[in-house]
Amino acid sequence: MIDPAHGGAESGAVLGPDNLEKDVTLALARRLRQDLISRGLQVMLVREGDTLLTSDQRASSANAARPALYVCLHATSQGGGMRIYTAMLPSAGTSRGLFASWQTAQAASLPASRSLQQQITTAIQKTRFPVRSLVAPLRPLNNLTMPAVAVEIAPATGQASQLATADYQQMVSAVLANAIAGTRGKLEASQ
Amino acid sequence: MIPRNLAVTVAVLCSLTLGMSLYLWQIRTREATNSRALVPQHVAAPASGTTEKVKVLLAHDETDDLRPESISIPSGSNRQQRAEEILRQLLNVYQQKDAPHPLTAAAEIRNVYLVDPNTAVIDVNSAFVDGQTSGILAEELTLISIVQSLAANVPNVTRVKLLVDGKERETLAGHVDLSGVYDVGEISQLANQLSPQ
Repeated sequence: MIDPAHGGAESGAVLGPDNLEKDVTLALARRLRQDLISRGLQVMLVREGDTLLTSDQRASSANAARPALYVCLHATSQGGGMRIYTAMLPSAGTSRGLFASWQTAQAASLPASRSLQQQITTAIQKTRFPVRSLVAPLRPLNNLTMPAVAVEIAPATGQASQLATADYQQMVSAVLANAIAGTRGKLEASQ
Repeated sequence: MIPRNLAVTVAVLCSLTLGMSLYLWQIRTREATNSRALVPQHVAAPASGTTEKVKVLLAHDETDDLRPESISIPSGSNRQQRAEEILRQLLNVYQQKDAPHPLTAAAEIRNVYLVDPNTAVIDVNSAFVDGQTSGILAEELTLISIVQSLAANVPNVTRVKLLVDGKERETLAGHVDLSGVYDVGEISQLANQLSPQ
């Protein structure tokens, strides 16, 4: 499941005069969907248009769909390349019996998320595309009950306008799709 | 013809209403003047007072990392004043020209409350978050710099909560979660992943 971050009135980062993070993430998500489908994977988008969704709505829809992997896409003008994040779970919130705490719902899947993060990062590093593997306190990652990562894309040239170009998005999408498709064995096993 | 007693009653009531309105207006004006005087003003470190050097963790956007550096704060202040001074001096570094991680000049640390007794509640103004660069890493660098710099220099602070204009806020600038209370040990681990490589 691919989640293009932000949407509607919540535009995310302003990357340029006519370049909003919500538009870049949606365009990139559509490309990534095509690239993953062409590699034999089934893909869903959390939002198909310019829709405002809360973190809770995103998490609820992902948890209901039960995908093998959730990938949230972000874009920023700062730095360069790609950063792959897994959740930093808050210390509060204890699951009781069958009921998982909403704030730490990711706890059971976190080892799988970290393992997939490492595998995706290693695959991207082989292409010489700059990539870092990090942890962040970022919603809705905390609230997801399946392996989940967030991907933040930054321009390679230092110019934020590059994020909106078809060439750069296509390149990023292909690199990411190859890396995700490479985890297919692990994803099928976790299903 | 209006009876005389009714005319007198109406006249008395009108003058009472006018008098009370004037009195209320006067009270409100006095209250507004007093509350303006009560707004805490930031006091700059005395030029001639003694200062001490403390180590803070500075964010660097150029290299996407955090590096320890020394800043000066007035010495001899109590625990709460010390916490506020550290964060205000840290913010001052980020507001300089050519700062390594620029924050808007209008950003302010409104208050730091030390409660419970290991929890620090940092209250920043809305300009602080409005001027913050939006992005996961950019926001994470700000959060870690603030939390680690505070916890490293104010004894027994193990949990930190951020408020904006005294209220809870969902995220710093659209990404990093501000809804919970941060454990200093966990933020320390985030700091390690962002130390210079």
